[in-house]
Amino acid sequence: MRNMFVIFRKELYRVLTDKRLVLTVFILPGLSIFVIYTIIGTLVQAQFTEPEDYETKIYAENVPDAIVHRLDETMNYRFIEGELTRDDIEEQIMDEKIDLAVIFAEDFEERIIDKSPNPPGVTVFYNQGNQSSASAHTRFSAVMNAYHESIIKERLDDPADYHPYILATENIIDERTMAAQGFAMLLPMLIIIFLFAGAMSIGPDAIAGEKERGTIASLLVTPTKRRDIALGKVTSSALLSLLSALSAFIGIILSLPRLMMADETMPDISIYGAQEFLAIFFLLVVTVIFIVGLISIISAYAKTIKEASMLIMPFYFIAMIIGIMNSFGAEVNQNPLVHLVPIYGPINMLSGVLLFDYSLTNFFVTIAANIVYIAVFVFILNKMFDNEKVMFAR
Amino acid sequence: MTDLEVRDLRKTFRLSRKQRRIERTDEKKRIAVKGLSFTARRGEIYGLLGPNGAGKTTTLRCISTLIRPDEGDIFIDGKSVLKESIEVRKNIAFLTTELKLDDFFTPNYLFGYFSRLHGIDEKTMEKRRTEQFERFGIDKFAEVKVADLSSGMKQKTSLAISLVHDPDFIIFDEPTNGLDVLTARTVIDYLLEMREAGKAIIISTHILSVVEKMCDRVGIIIDGELKVSDELAKVKALDENGDLEEVFFHLVEESAGDFAHA
Ligand SMILES: Nc1ncnc2c1ncn2[C@@H]1O[C@H](COP(=O)(O)OP(=O)(O)OP(=O)(O)O)[C@@H](O)[C@H]1O
Ligand SMILES: [Mg+2]
Repeated sequence: MRNMFVIFRKELYRVLTDKRLVLTVFILPGLSIFVIYTIIGTLVQAQFTEPEDYETKIYAENVPDAIVHRLDETMNYRFIEGELTRDDIEEQIMDEKIDLAVIFAEDFEERIIDKSPNPPGVTVFYNQGNQSSASAHTRFSAVMNAYHESIIKERLDDPADYHPYILATENIIDERTMAAQGFAMLLPMLIIIFLFAGAMSIGPDAIAGEKERGTIASLLVTPTKRRDIALGKVTSSALLSLLSALSAFIGIILSLPRLMMADETMPDISIYGAQEFLAIFFLLVVTVIFIVGLISIISAYAKTIKEASMLIMPFYFIAMIIGIMNSFGAEVNQNPLVHLVPIYGPINMLSGVLLFDYSLTNFFVTIAANIVYIAVFVFILNKMFDNEKVMFAR
Repeated sequence: MTDLEVRDLRKTFRLSRKQRRIERTDEKKRIAVKGLSFTARRGEIYGLLGPNGAGKTTTLRCISTLIRPDEGDIFIDGKSVLKESIEVRKNIAFLTTELKLDDFFTPNYLFGYFSRLHGIDEKTMEKRRTEQFERFGIDKFAEVKVADLSSGMKQKTSLAISLVHDPDFIIFDEPTNGLDVLTARTVIDYLLEMREAGKAIIISTHILSVVEKMCDRVGIIIDGELKVSDELAKVKALDENGDLEEVFFHLVEESAGDFAHA
């Protein structure tokens, strides 16, 4: 048992004192997530908010006064002087010289008043691919809708005709549930991806690396139980992977305000109590050890770090797919048997905890199942360290 | 009780597909060692002499408990490598010039690490480290990462680190292979010193002069079989002029002849 700690300490020392590894494993995940999410958040926000003082450039023909009034009230704009052909209009919109062109029929207003059986036309040109043009179009459409409604109102004699029904919509979801759903969608997927990524940058070096460098023989010739080697490697990799995932979380938490500003529902982690945090902690621990155990076995089998990384890839993809599917799955699966499934069980459980929708039985099933898997992994790893065909394969 | 006894050692490897391709052979198996028996004693150096592929490394790895004999057994101080491998490991060192050290660590750290794996207390460790590092001139480089050491210094570090626990049995595969003259000299001198200190030393080599310079006993291994195993002087005496090279060539030719007959 003592040698397990000797190996554990050495693996930690190896990683924590290597500036390059510290940077790539503990700093970059958090930093890159923070930077990427902040940029995405900022961009999304910019998409929805236009500079206040932007002056929309509109080319118009025969605009009725009633419309001009309404435009004056809703937007900051200016009409473009001159006469343009249809081709000119298209060209100038594409060149962003104008944002919107509206061409009213010459006798537009008269025909409305006369209730002409042959209604007057309005043609609108804009470019959906251009942000200010698209937003000018949206506003202009709103103006036209209001105008449309006012005409209908005028034409109807009985106000009851105008209000055939009254629609009341209530969004019954409370903020807590909404935040919970946000977390349940985002976190389990990210957790699985970052835990796996962290473990992938640690595990292969600790085991396949020793085989590749030829240092494994020096270790195997010492009176160290193979079980202690397996446990030392797995526990140290698990701790380091957790730290790496933690860095990613700090990045997520710090960038959440930016990311969520866009739809103004800012999830707050404080909706969860001690019981949830404890459950999350245990789920994280068993999941990370499971992943590290799997990666360690593959690394013990591989002859080089490169081979190990390659062999791990398919498992990483499977885990990623499970994570993504969980994010878009509608319901937390409450079938106890499902909680026995590796990776999927804990992720599903994690969603349940984050949604306050879980049973303790399923929680313990998940934890117990994973402890069994981990024990099996350590046993296999122990056998592998003791197997010359695996350790000294040619 | 002899100090170290190899008793009827047999070891067969299954050849991987890749290996069959590289060696252009259809054989599925390779019998690397075919019933080897010899003994080695404290205060002596035993040399396993043989051409490439003779089975030297395989034999030494079996003695070092890194691989398991298929048949036969090896007893070190009466302990079986098969049944008491952990006990055996406490009292042996396995060295090879191919043994790599993790580039990332310093000699100081590695010495501490392996001492702890051997369960040596800190005080004894410090004392031995000072002694050994001075002995090999590593003290000046004790805090330099292995990656930045010269290859001679790496070899000396590897020697010091493999012997943290001051074992009674030193097993050294090709002790001078690939070393420059000076480093080779240091290594040989050290092994001779260890012999004086009463250690049992087993080396393998394909270099005759190494055997002549340092071995008390020699075993000539060809194609996994031990052709002779005796005191150096007696083996030499097999040739009328007492020429080890002649004895060696004669045995190689003889076994090639056997092979042709078979
Ligand atoms: N792990 C292994 N898998 C398959 N075959 C092996 C393995 N180790 C050794 N062999 C084969 O067994 C035979 C003996 O090899 P060994 O390495 O013991 O020879 P050696 O005397 O040390 O040779 P050298 O002087 O080249 O080091 C060789 O044919 C080798 O290819
Ligand atoms: Mg060899």
